[in-house]
Amino acid sequence: MTSQIEYLPILLFLGVALGISVLFVFLPMGVSRLTGTHNPTVDKLTEYECGFPAFEDSRSQFDVRFYLVAILFIIFDLEAAFLFPWAVSLEQIGWAGWLTMMVFLFELIIGFAYAWKVGALEWE
Amino acid sequence: MNAITRTLKAFTLYEFVQAHALTLKYFFKPKKTINYPYEKNPISPRFRGEHALRRYPNGEERCIACKLCEAVCPAQAITIEAEPRDDGSRRTTRYDIDMTKCIYCGFCQEACPVDAVVEGPNFEYATETREELIYDKYKLLENGDKWERAIAANLEADAPYR
Amino acid sequence: MTEFFQSLGMSYEWAWFVATLAGILLIALPVMLAVAYIIYFDRKVIAAISLRRGPNVVGPFGLLQSFADGLKVFLQETIIPSGANKGLFLLAPIITFTVALLAWAVIPFGAEAVLANINVGLLYVLAISSLGVYGVVIAGWASNSKYPFFSAMRAAAQMISYEVSIGFVLVCVVIYAGTFNLNGIIEAQRGHGFGFVNAYGFNLLLFPMWVVFFISSLAETARAPFDLTEAESELVAGYQTEYSSMSFALFWLGEYANILLMCALNAILFWGGWLPPFEWEPLYMVPGIIWLFLKMFLTFFLFSWIWATVPRYRYDQLMRLGWKIFLPLSLLFVVMVSGWIMYTRVGL
Repeated sequence: MTSQIEYLPILLFLGVALGISVLFVFLPMGVSRLTGTHNPTVDKLTEYECGFPAFEDSRSQFDVRFYLVAILFIIFDLEAAFLFPWAVSLEQIGWAGWLTMMVFLFELIIGFAYAWKVGALEWE
Repeated sequence: MNAITRTLKAFTLYEFVQAHALTLKYFFKPKKTINYPYEKNPISPRFRGEHALRRYPNGEERCIACKLCEAVCPAQAITIEAEPRDDGSRRTTRYDIDMTKCIYCGFCQEACPVDAVVEGPNFEYATETREELIYDKYKLLENGDKWERAIAANLEADAPYR
Repeated sequence: MTEFFQSLGMSYEWAWFVATLAGILLIALPVMLAVAYIIYFDRKVIAAISLRRGPNVVGPFGLLQSFADGLKVFLQETIIPSGANKGLFLLAPIITFTVALLAWAVIPFGAEAVLANINVGLLYVLAISSLGVYGVVIAGWASNSKYPFFSAMRAAAQMISYEVSIGFVLVCVVIYAGTFNLNGIIEAQRGHGFGFVNAYGFNLLLFPMWVVFFISSLAETARAPFDLTEAESELVAGYQTEYSSMSFALFWLGEYANILLMCALNAILFWGGWLPPFEWEPLYMVPGIIWLFLKMFLTFFLFSWIWATVPRYRYDQLMRLGWKIFLPLSLLFVVMVSGWIMYTRVGL
């Protein structure tokens, strides 16, 4: 029987890991000011664009398929989330439980086949 | 049949595994590169490396400030200023080579009538700042003194082919 | 460890606190050290396969190369582009590295040597490693530059695509083991193959799943041949383009810590973790942690080997592999594995 106390080390770990990362980001900034390597110039601070000034805003439109992938991901990750508790208790729930999940999976596969057929998975 | 074998090959990762067997073989092969800073390749007598200004055996500098190298330099890396010395001979007062401009074409040493400016065998002269790569006459003469034996040997080895 | 600190005269709570803190440092610092050395190992393997020598100057055989690189990077100037969102820009490497370290909290290094032996360890690892994509996306967005932005888009789509099949593969393993606890999964592999092989990997139903998991872990950690997020020929350095100094190094550290984590997961889920490969008494003389490290090391060698061998995928090929091959395949195996388990353990 594990209780919530098992998660306390993780919280402590989060603190330590955050501490280390913050230290790694901000300490070199201090050090470079002390050693004199901190020397920003206008050209140095412009964004990288292969040697010429950027023409347009970098946050431009992007392909809608990225959005489609995100939607598909939500569906299938949720499906996996449903599968997890089913997987651990498979031996207890018996054939009825197994069949129920197979029906659920079958419905999702129909959806998947539809997405495939209409070309939601195509990247030419 | 062809389609079946193709599918079978794809699912057993046949070609993938084959490629990895090949690279594993290469993993154990002797290396083609040398252990560079500790080991070096022989270089040709014609190797065009760091520049140097040479002297005659009596210590007199060879350069007579004819400015042929300056004229021929395609990258315009050489700057020369000259005026007669106290004893009346024509010498440079300034001889700069901007090593960041130089393209190591070797035209300067070809143009030189007295073999004064040469490109020596040294190629390990990386610096931390750009300023250090703008060589003046003092630095070039120093290079000449330092590398004279190697340069002389290279010139001699190459002489029969000129 | 708590008992040891209690014997020093501390109260139970303090002893527990100090012991846990010591445990955390005992995981975090060796992970960072291991990262330094697998970077070196990676470079050496790739060099050897391309018939080069790799790092050979700093220290004997170049063993100190990673530390020289680290020191150089540490002393450099941190450049924050004037167009960037400063807060987010600095937050991104922090997230990446924190998350990469955090997942190690539940990895068992031995029967008792685990910091947080939670009963849903596998879910925790899955959840934490999914968070890693935030660091990449935030970095790409905050840089306010084209290449990082494109890279972040690609990285997000790539990571979530392969997470789906990883999820299904994990379901297969969980069906076999009947638990989410990583130690439990390792214990379930004891004598799994023919009564004496301590690994799921030799099971005919699970071996293909290992292949899928392994390739997906390449894609998850954006390793070659799936390193489209930092495809240097098209995207400069991907989402790290605008980064410099230690914030840049944190991405590297995080990336390699994630790769190590994936190696550990491969070892734990399919090759018996800290169990020796065979049920044979003399093999138990070697401490479990050595077995785990050995298995991780071999998996990492595979990572390097593949990097040196395979050219980079195109983005459409990557998506096709993830969605049209791995997803149906792993779904099919979920059905097959669960059916087989029902048949053998429950009966008709």
